[in-house]
Amino acid sequence: MSNFLVLFAGELQRMKKYHILGASFVIAFLWIGVLHLTQIENVSNIFPLLLFLDATSMSILMIGVTMFFEKQEGSMKSLLVSPIGKIEYILAKTGANIVSNLITLLLLFSYAKMFKAIDIHLLWLILAVILISFFHSLLGFVLTYYSKDFTQLLMAMMKYTFVFIIPVLLEQIGLITSDWMTKLLYAIPTKASMTLLNASVGTVETWEIILSLLYLLIISIGVFVIVVRKYDEFALKESGV
Amino acid sequence: MFQVNNLCFKYPKNKENTIKNVSFEIKEGEVFGLLGPSGVGKSTTQKILIKLLTNYQGEVLYKNKDLKSYNKQFYQEIGVGFEMPVHFSKLTANENLSFFKKLYKSNANTDELLQQVGLYEDRNKLVNEFSKGMKARLNFVRALINQPKILFLDEPTNGLDPKNARNIKEMIKNFQREGGTVLLTTHLMNDVDELCDRVAFMADGNIAEIDTPKNLKLKHGERKVEVEYKEGKEILKTSFDLDTLSKNDEFTSVVKTKEIVTIHSKETTLDDIFIKVTGVESDE
Repeated sequence: MSNFLVLFAGELQRMKKYHILGASFVIAFLWIGVLHLTQIENVSNIFPLLLFLDATSMSILMIGVTMFFEKQEGSMKSLLVSPIGKIEYILAKTGANIVSNLITLLLLFSYAKMFKAIDIHLLWLILAVILISFFHSLLGFVLTYYSKDFTQLLMAMMKYTFVFIIPVLLEQIGLITSDWMTKLLYAIPTKASMTLLNASVGTVETWEIILSLLYLLIISIGVFVIVVRKYDEFALKESGV
Repeated sequence: MFQVNNLCFKYPKNKENTIKNVSFEIKEGEVFGLLGPSGVGKSTTQKILIKLLTNYQGEVLYKNKDLKSYNKQFYQEIGVGFEMPVHFSKLTANENLSFFKKLYKSNANTDELLQQVGLYEDRNKLVNEFSKGMKARLNFVRALINQPKILFLDEPTNGLDPKNARNIKEMIKNFQREGGTVLLTTHLMNDVDELCDRVAFMADGNIAEIDTPKNLKLKHGERKVEVEYKEGKEILKTSFDLDTLSKNDEFTSVVKTKEIVTIHSKETTLDDIFIKVTGVESDE
């Protein structure tokens, strides 16, 4: 892992230069705007909801954006003939993505602390965001591997949003109440993500937290193995074959 | 440095092999040219040698060890100069080089390299403001940043004006003088003539010819001398057999008594050999 830190710093530098971090800040300020406009004084309950959107869909999107830039500019070829391991490369990208999500979390938390009332377990929330962002960043790799261009990636992301993100959001805001639907949602990783975020506010049963944590950890390891294994195939394709 | 034995390679979607039982050697300290028209397997061969393609048949040895046994540290020893741009366009030339330099144990003086290729003044410009030629020169610098032992260069002078092309060729010669080995892939036969110690012409996945440029010219050329001389107001042309020139009275007489306009040995050019061996024009 000797070049992990170099790759990680490089990722952050490029996220800044390519205005990806800037876009992430814009989204964070959008959420701050939502918090500002809401009539609720104690924002503890809607806080996990905002972070949920950031740590899931934004994580997928940001991996896709950076990888498509590398494909388009040919810099990926240059990386392929550099002395770096694929695990270093994958972890550096994922790590930079997590940093971006944590910045959003801290910006939102600072605003809520200063201008609203908030009562959450910050350390738990940070750990939850790291795990959710890690899993969704890996998912970003998988979707990028199978997308020919950025439009195709966006389409894949839209499908993921409709099938996995929106139902969880609807349940969170109380629009889905049926028992069987709630049980069905336990099968998808976004429900586990939401549960872990909600746990920071303390409204979740312990068994649910353990189950969600195990589920996300196991599925993250599984997807990580796929991302590492499929990387060579992807690299082969990107080298012009 | 590289020993390639009975190399075969087939892309998963193709029916037949792209590389068909190819064997050759790249000796330490030489500039080896891999030539041929598009699609004959030059790039595939190069990709195998730089470990981008691994599922090949046959044997590739690097420093007498199976290439497959090398890990990513192999890239500490090689430099790859791509034909197409390979840099982060929203970073400056300096930022790009600084990033890549940090990945290597050994580093060249990039300021010096940028000066040599004429990009020093533009080092703080974004790469997306660079012209095609500037990007090609930056690619060349990128290939040298780790002080490699072997350089893989794909069309290094393509898109460069004659002055910059000359600079790059001088740098390649210097690299070789300092003990470096070069695998050069190009369509520009002038570059091959100037730089390569040995060349291999590829055709349809095979090596059709492999030798020094001089030997190839002798093999494929005519052993004749062509003389143009003035005869009154006219210019006449005649040719003589090179091997019997010293005993040829007619030649001696022409040289002694006529005003010579031109005199040339009828060596063939690498362009002619390229067409003859591969059956395709070299500038395709």
